[in-house]
Amino acid sequence: MSWLSTTDHKRIGILYMAASLGFFCIGSALAALIRIQLARPDQHLIDPHLYNQIFTMHGTLMIFFVVAPFGLGLANYLVPLQIGAPDMAFPRLNAFSVWIFILGGLTVCSGLFAAGGAAASGWTAYAPLSELPVGAGAGQDLWIAGLLMTSISSVVTAINLLVTILLYRAPGMTMWRMPIFTWEMAATSLLILMAFPPLMTTLAILLVDRHLGGHFFDANAGGNPILYQHLFWFFGHPEVYVMILPYFGVITEIVSTFSRKPVFGYVGLVISAFAIAGLSMGVWAHHMFTTGEVSNPFFAGVSFLIAVPTGIKFFNWIGTMWKGSIELTTPMLFAIGFMLNFLLGGITGVMVASPPIDFQAQDSYFVVSHFHYVLVGGSLFAIVGAVFFWFPKFSGFRLSERLGTWCFGLLFVGFNATFLPMYEMGFEGMPRRVDTYANVGHLAVLNLIASGGAAIMGAGLVLFAIALVLAFVKRVPAGDNPWDASTLEWATTSPPPEHNFTELPPIRSEHPLWDAR
Amino acid sequence: MGAFDPGTSQGHVLLGDWQIFLWTAAIVGAIVVVLILLPLFLWRRRDGAAPARFQGNPPLEIAYTILPLLIVLGLFWVTLTRERRVEAQTPTPYAVVHVDAFRWSWRFVYPAEGVVVTGTPQHPPEMALPLGETTGIVLVSDDVDHSFWVPDFLFKRDAIPGFVNRFDLTPTRAGVFRGECAEFCGLGHTDMTFSVRVLPLPAYRAWLAAHRSAAP
Repeated sequence: MSWLSTTDHKRIGILYMAASLGFFCIGSALAALIRIQLARPDQHLIDPHLYNQIFTMHGTLMIFFVVAPFGLGLANYLVPLQIGAPDMAFPRLNAFSVWIFILGGLTVCSGLFAAGGAAASGWTAYAPLSELPVGAGAGQDLWIAGLLMTSISSVVTAINLLVTILLYRAPGMTMWRMPIFTWEMAATSLLILMAFPPLMTTLAILLVDRHLGGHFFDANAGGNPILYQHLFWFFGHPEVYVMILPYFGVITEIVSTFSRKPVFGYVGLVISAFAIAGLSMGVWAHHMFTTGEVSNPFFAGVSFLIAVPTGIKFFNWIGTMWKGSIELTTPMLFAIGFMLNFLLGGITGVMVASPPIDFQAQDSYFVVSHFHYVLVGGSLFAIVGAVFFWFPKFSGFRLSERLGTWCFGLLFVGFNATFLPMYEMGFEGMPRRVDTYANVGHLAVLNLIASGGAAIMGAGLVLFAIALVLAFVKRVPAGDNPWDASTLEWATTSPPPEHNFTELPPIRSEHPLWDAR
Repeated sequence: MGAFDPGTSQGHVLLGDWQIFLWTAAIVGAIVVVLILLPLFLWRRRDGAAPARFQGNPPLEIAYTILPLLIVLGLFWVTLTRERRVEAQTPTPYAVVHVDAFRWSWRFVYPAEGVVVTGTPQHPPEMALPLGETTGIVLVSDDVDHSFWVPDFLFKRDAIPGFVNRFDLTPTRAGVFRGECAEFCGLGHTDMTFSVRVLPLPAYRAWLAAHRSAAP
């Protein structure tokens, strides 16, 4: 009962993360249905209207209710601890934001039980398709309402995090001594404040069009469908970085801890986070290269530039590992997996930023593979790694390293088997969002491999769940600082007391706990 | 991809872009993978490695900022020049085809020849193009966003209500090529396919004649 009314940032953080993982279970089950339907060519196990709902809900849940909010949940838990604060700046607002997030997710999911089914126009809900009454009934409205709720939650949390970071740091914790994860969350929060209000506007316009005869996106009445794409991607591309910047922070903390070395090029790493955030506001129309209605050279150029600060982060991580004392624990394995997967996601990102390549890759499985390499091979690997890294702090118990290693192995092999073939599928001409495909080229064998890989990933995720349950059964005490990490969250007990710290160590650098040795 | 032969002259330009990017990606990717994995073999805690204490190296940091910048500037130049060649349109195409996308099929109209081919999801339509000649395509949509995609040509372009998109296709290889809608458009999206038949000029004229008489 005390969890319902809590304003403790740590409990709110755990609620946020647990709810995200709950939505992740639904999203993963939907992904399994997609891979079953696509395992063989010309297969009709799932009716097309249901299939359209499945991939729409899969994308919507994973993006709006898993990858982005898990980062916010983690930040809720960690940022006050990392800067030596007793709580977030606005604890009650914080409680509001987590509950409206959960309510938003349930609202979107409730569409599955609506007459006519859930939203079925893709997670991008392109107008005018999303404005048609057929195939976009109450489910589409519930989708809009749920997204509005979670957008409010994100904006409120972003304000809360920024105020906390700016005003609630402990004595000695200057901005340039903040852990990288906290810095990345500052950049993420700024991006949320810039990106989510346009999304809410777009959703509101969609509602006006659907119910009040707005015709904003209806070409037959003088409206403009391209406007919808501009508005959506003006939110949508910064959102991609809302879904990856927190995890850059996670990886940095893990790599530094298990290399026993301070972060290499700290200032450059911080600047690169804000460079990415800034540039990401000017690349949205690279999602529109094939519309013929945008300045392709401009958006291609800015998109290429993002590779520079992203590359800097790779060199920061490599520099941190260089001549370190490396320990391959489960979190470190996930960090390495993140780097390898995200590297391929980033490189193919540079490719699709080139319009001549995009003319083939756009809306094909090539792009599907590209963004799964970023958001699954990248963000999701960081999420699982973060759980293995901070779980001892959250609960006071250790997770099994043996299960962790197996979980990593299965996820890494399964992930690559699922998504690597998709690059070739896209190049051979398989469009995304089709419920079946003809047996041409190598599509049959590639899809079969992908579905097999998905099964392996599923096994890895089951092991992850088993590891979490076993930790609470076995209750092996973790101690305050099991990994010998350097940042302040490890200076207090596991789990921390309600007001976090009884006393703080002196803070003279960005790794105060190593200074004390 | 080396043996892949795109079906149009525009496609050959596009394939060149793919190849340049793939080679750059392979080289850069291989170097970074080696750099990520090398420390795992050289400096392990279980082998008693003591961590160094350095936290930065300004000349190196500047180098790894400038070098990627130069690479992407090079790629940007490749992109600019190639896209310009693909988007170039001749003022005097051999033929003009109006392509009309609708839920869930296509209508191909040859205005000068009086030929109209309308498909259905169950009976996808066929479009003929003359081999070695440039055809101007005029692309529109009746209802929602669609996208005209011929994978063998390495090219797609969106059909958006209220907008007209124009581009050229110059086939360099005879044959029948698969076409599909790439932009999700609802229930029949999967079935919104078509085919492109590239024919030598005499056969192309015969195709036009046959379809003119068959037109309703």
